[in-house]
Amino acid sequence: MPTLASTPPLLAVESVDVVLGRGWRARKVLSHVDLQIWPGEIVGLVGETGSGKTTLARTVVGLVNPRRGRVVFDGLPISALRRRARRAARRRGHVQLVFQDPLRSLDPDLTVADIVGEGLRIRGERDREELRGRVLDALEKVGLDATVLARTPGQISGGQRQRVSIARALAVGPRLLICDEPVSALDASSRNYVLRLLDELRNSLGLPIVIISHDLSSLAGIADRVVVLYGGRIVEDGPVGRVFAAPRHPYTALLMASAPSVRHDQPFSLHQLRRSDADPAPPDGPDACVFAARCPFTADACAQQPPLAAVEGRWSVACHRREEWMALAQDRNR
Amino acid sequence: MVIDNRSPLPDVVTAGAGAGVSQGPRPGAGEVLRIDDLHVTVHDGAATAVRGISLRVQAGEIVGLVGESGSGKTLTCRAALGVLPPGCAIEQGTVSFAGHDVTALSQRDWERVHGSHMGAVFQDPASYLNPTITVGHQLTEVLRVKRRLARRAARRRATELFGAVGLREPERVFHQIPAELSGGMLQRVMIAIAVSCDPQLLVADEPTTALDVTIQAEVIELLRQLRDQRGMAVLFVSHDLALITELCDRVVVFYAGEVVESGPAAEITERPRHPYTQALLRVASVGDFGRRELEVIAGQPPQVGANIAGCRFAERCPVAVPACRTGSIPSVAVGDEHDVRCLRAEDARNVDQLVAR
Amino acid sequence: MTTTARRRPRAQRGLAQRGPAQPRQRPARPRSVLRLPSVRVALVILAAVAILTAFGSALAPQNPLTINANALFQGPGAHHLLGTDYLGRDVLSRLMAGTRLSVLTALEAVGIGLVLGAVPGVATVFLGRWFDFVANRITDALMTLPYIFFAVAVTAALGNNLAHAMIAVGILLAPFFFRVTRAATLEHARAQYVEAAELLGASKLHIIRVHVLRKVLPNIAVTTASMTAAALLAVSFLTFLGIGVQPPAPTWGGILSSDLDYLSQAPWAPFIPGALIAITVGALNALADAFRDRSSAGSLVTADPVTRAVIHTNSSLESADGDRQSQSVA
Repeated sequence: MPTLASTPPLLAVESVDVVLGRGWRARKVLSHVDLQIWPGEIVGLVGETGSGKTTLARTVVGLVNPRRGRVVFDGLPISALRRRARRAARRRGHVQLVFQDPLRSLDPDLTVADIVGEGLRIRGERDREELRGRVLDALEKVGLDATVLARTPGQISGGQRQRVSIARALAVGPRLLICDEPVSALDASSRNYVLRLLDELRNSLGLPIVIISHDLSSLAGIADRVVVLYGGRIVEDGPVGRVFAAPRHPYTALLMASAPSVRHDQPFSLHQLRRSDADPAPPDGPDACVFAARCPFTADACAQQPPLAAVEGRWSVACHRREEWMALAQDRNR
Repeated sequence: MVIDNRSPLPDVVTAGAGAGVSQGPRPGAGEVLRIDDLHVTVHDGAATAVRGISLRVQAGEIVGLVGESGSGKTLTCRAALGVLPPGCAIEQGTVSFAGHDVTALSQRDWERVHGSHMGAVFQDPASYLNPTITVGHQLTEVLRVKRRLARRAARRRATELFGAVGLREPERVFHQIPAELSGGMLQRVMIAIAVSCDPQLLVADEPTTALDVTIQAEVIELLRQLRDQRGMAVLFVSHDLALITELCDRVVVFYAGEVVESGPAAEITERPRHPYTQALLRVASVGDFGRRELEVIAGQPPQVGANIAGCRFAERCPVAVPACRTGSIPSVAVGDEHDVRCLRAEDARNVDQLVAR
Repeated sequence: MTTTARRRPRAQRGLAQRGPAQPRQRPARPRSVLRLPSVRVALVILAAVAILTAFGSALAPQNPLTINANALFQGPGAHHLLGTDYLGRDVLSRLMAGTRLSVLTALEAVGIGLVLGAVPGVATVFLGRWFDFVANRITDALMTLPYIFFAVAVTAALGNNLAHAMIAVGILLAPFFFRVTRAATLEHARAQYVEAAELLGASKLHIIRVHVLRKVLPNIAVTTASMTAAALLAVSFLTFLGIGVQPPAPTWGGILSSDLDYLSQAPWAPFIPGALIAITVGALNALADAFRDRSSAGSLVTADPVTRAVIHTNSSLESADGDRQSQSVA
């Protein structure tokens, strides 16, 4: 969904650093993350375990406080809010997070009706009819009906649980929805069903959605933009069609080449994108590029972390060798 | 949300299948695993979860079992390994390993088979490893018990094996406990343990489902390498059809406790005959990175063990006819080693036209 | 150390009507705790004790205070079912009448312990690190005090009144309630559904009321049962020592104490009040055990047995550490 360059973003993550753990156990999980989300777009956030994608989602919604930088939603720096102000902002329901595992994020002792209506009750809605109406409304949006109202999470299937989780987020009328791996636990058919659901929500409500996923090709079905995270940094951020057609960061290419059954029409094979022992030792050190240790195309410049720089329009890449690595890869053995 | 039978299967799938396979079964080798008409009941006989499964694995072959959860593929694997969970039993049928009937093998005899002849790798490696003992120790323990190696020899062999499965710095990994290793590394350790005594068959039940896609690719390559180097047969279970067609020589498609189609991977992807297989292919993320419709399969699989007359897929099938709902559906051969359990199989090739009519 | 974070394993589920897997299989347990024979016996015993507490004096066959110099140290017989004591008083009647004082003061202590312990126990999880630190140190301090000496000191200060002494015992029971409740609350307060509620703007009170309270009540119930047993023992011990006893009012411990004075004349005598105390305490502990076992069996509704067996064959649903990096929120 094209957006005017002059429209301000709905969400702006500005130079955010996040450190988790205390004392000697402290780890920098996100470094210098800059991200904007505009209304009406679906953004796919991709990364391996340890890349920081879940932490990023939690930081945006305020479950984690950034060490540096800030999160601005609709002009309001929500990361700076504390306690009462934060609760009040949350009650307005701007940003909602759908957690990864509905088994853990739904209270097993509550019924679906209680769960989906919880946000409304927290806001002070007491009228039973009104509550019921809005709960049914939210359930209808995710393709569920009144039959699940009295059931507990343990009594419905995995796919239904995930949808209840989404309905809970929708019931409070959010302006931005973040879904943390909403479909990882589902089989292929249910996965596509839920993704289509999210697409319809975006179309009917104009709701921007961030989908955290590791499955690239299902993102291709519905995302407008893809943001690739590695080692706590954004390495590529651009329109999904262009990025997937010709990724500019070697890690993105590696992800695509690794996805099963796709490899054979990929421009590069896995061997061309992976380090081998014959490659020269990569620069290391605290300031080196996060991907250097796995990258076969390192040069001296990679001893410095490359900044996320625009290559064209809304497409940016963090790679010193973004122009050359493709030619180098071609020359490598398949 | 009905399957659009008019859209052709993506070309990518056709090109992909088989191209990744570097070596087929070794010539002159025998049959490693043979399952005939297997019926497995669960919960002390309350329901039959696996019905009439037959499959064969040749030496050096990688056979993939694919299906949704509850389709019976894991139970079949466990029956083949002799490790059915409590309450489950083989009600009918036989399992033969390398020509020997192991259906009713005693626990003691199974202990001789496990490790030396059959190895296994499962989904979550961390739960199959002792968290307090170094992984090196766990591997040498196997070598010393099964192969009767002396301590030093076992240690050397273990380090070799760690290297063979692609672990960097095998010496260092030897002394680490599971908590210090990532998921991918743990799975490699599991594979090392599983192949340490040169088994003829490796059973891998969703070994990569919990891993990141880049690590998954590496583990798949490793399995293929091991097969090439050792002539080891692999029984690979997954719900990811794309992965199965990528890796396996032959594919067996499970649905609701039955085998609905089986055949060479290339055949299955180019000429799938069973409507369920066709649906799976459409739904699977088969690598089209352009914008496209995400397909779904309408309906849900039947309850485990439900007694259904006729075809178990009939309710969701776009080409079912009344005959499909009565009587048992036999498995027919529709090509070279390609079997389908479907009354419409011969016509399935023209299913596009059928629906259009 | 290499990184240990890894992606959660996918559950293999379709849109089927199935419940969740129980990753750890447990042997089948009786549906209702009432089916256990130990619980039924315990409940009968406790019901009897409850009736005695309410109506003991009225139900006693004879006046527990009547002295009969002609019938000292009689063994169990037709007229006196459990015999007589050193003053010729009917033992059975004394025990029945003594139930009220013993049980009520024990309940008083437990009530005090519950309020002083469980309420801070739940609150401390939500009130920040400093409050938690202080509460824990107070708990540690209280736990070092031996209750007998504390009770004696209180009676020395406030007068020889059993009720006062049991307040002291109650205060010393509070730490146990605190610790158990705090542990249970911690476990539930960090659940992801609590985070989800936070994201909806829930206040701490809402979270406690909706998500936490119902889940810690079983733990509190179990602790209450065991603490009642402990309090009953404490009462018996205190009255045995003579604290708070206003003779000739009968109490179980008091009866036991005087029986021991005349052991040579009536060697069977101490067993009777001793047995009564032991049986009641045992019943309470059995109840506590049964509830504890049941509540640890998990709160997720299990699927039908067939599917449970099948799903059990699939690999574990969740890896042990899960999303460690996302859980370790500073």
